[in-house]
Amino acid sequence: MVGAQHLVGMAELYSAKGTAKYTCLGLGSCIGLALWDASAEVSGMIHIMLPEKFPNKPVDKIGKFADTGIPELIDQMESLGASKGRIIAAYAGGAQVFKFGSSIAGSKLEVGARNALASKEILSQMGIRVVAQDVGGTLGRTVTYDTATGEFRVRTVTGGERSLCKLK
Amino acid sequence: MSQKIESNFSALQLSAAKEVANIGLGHAATSLSDMTGTSFHITVPKIESVPVAELSYLLGGPEEVVVSVYMPFEGDIHGHIAFLFPWKGAQKLWQMLLGAHPCDLEKVGEMEASALLEVGNIINSSFLNAISDMTDLKLHATPPLMTAEMSASVIATIVAEAEMTDSVALAVETNLYEADSGTSGYFLCIPSESGLQTIFERLGISEAA
Repeated sequence: MVGAQHLVGMAELYSAKGTAKYTCLGLGSCIGLALWDASAEVSGMIHIMLPEKFPNKPVDKIGKFADTGIPELIDQMESLGASKGRIIAAYAGGAQVFKFGSSIAGSKLEVGARNALASKEILSQMGIRVVAQDVGGTLGRTVTYDTATGEFRVRTVTGGERSLCKLK
Repeated sequence: MSQKIESNFSALQLSAAKEVANIGLGHAATSLSDMTGTSFHITVPKIESVPVAELSYLLGGPEEVVVSVYMPFEGDIHGHIAFLFPWKGAQKLWQMLLGAHPCDLEKVGEMEASALLEVGNIINSSFLNAISDMTDLKLHATPPLMTAEMSASVIATIVAEAEMTDSVALAVETNLYEADSGTSGYFLCIPSESGLQTIFERLGISEAA
């Protein structure tokens, strides 16, 4: 059976019941986070861009921020029958791809690290177990998650493709 | 004042932006020629406004390797400018500048980075100066950063820095020639929302599309 296929673009999130396959192409400082509830067979994925919503601006896209997007994705999964207590997670991204240049040390370009930290903290606050994560560094990553096999795979230009974990 | 930048600029605004790009890149060609001692020419065949989600498709697709020099700018307005070359275009550029080019990504070292940082710095700064001259706005660029990575990861990182998703960027297709050799890439300008309005107001064409 071929399930749902989702190309998860910047600030997007998708959830599905049954077999599904998700892809985040070319993550830089962004995070690709996959969630899975085995007994409900409900999955979800989000492409997070920034750690938290701005205090003085309305949220234009709920999936853009870790602090708004992760709870929203869990809500959507729960409406498909998932239960927060059973959901497990894997995520990758949060890199600093601009690795050359004089100003890196003093620059504000730490969105990747902040995204990774915010994702970790929010998942922890919500009591969600993280099976595996692959964050930081300087490499762009393409992430795929296939619920049929549970494979959460990470591909980089120089390192090829590898399985990070089975989210199953 | 609208909440978001309209997804299309007016023809007049694009035409003004092309004029600014032509002037800025003309200056850049002169600086590059001075730096290298050979004659560089830069032309701007096309300028378009592109939703940021679609930018990577201009460069061959989300996973295609691009080489990018990126500089946030500050001053009276702030924003983000970047130069993006497809990998093959960057190889040609290295060939022009260094007489050799890295054959794969892992061979990009400090020397290659430094050459492109310098070129990117010249091109980006010339563009900023042209905006500055035409609008009388004070702009200054922060030091350039460079990467060679998947286009989507580069663009998304810049877009995250610019803290926007739904807006559009000005994409300036740019051809760079030296004698018998040429290469092309994209010059990208993502001004802040209020900054863009300020620029067009100063140019006397503030109406939306």
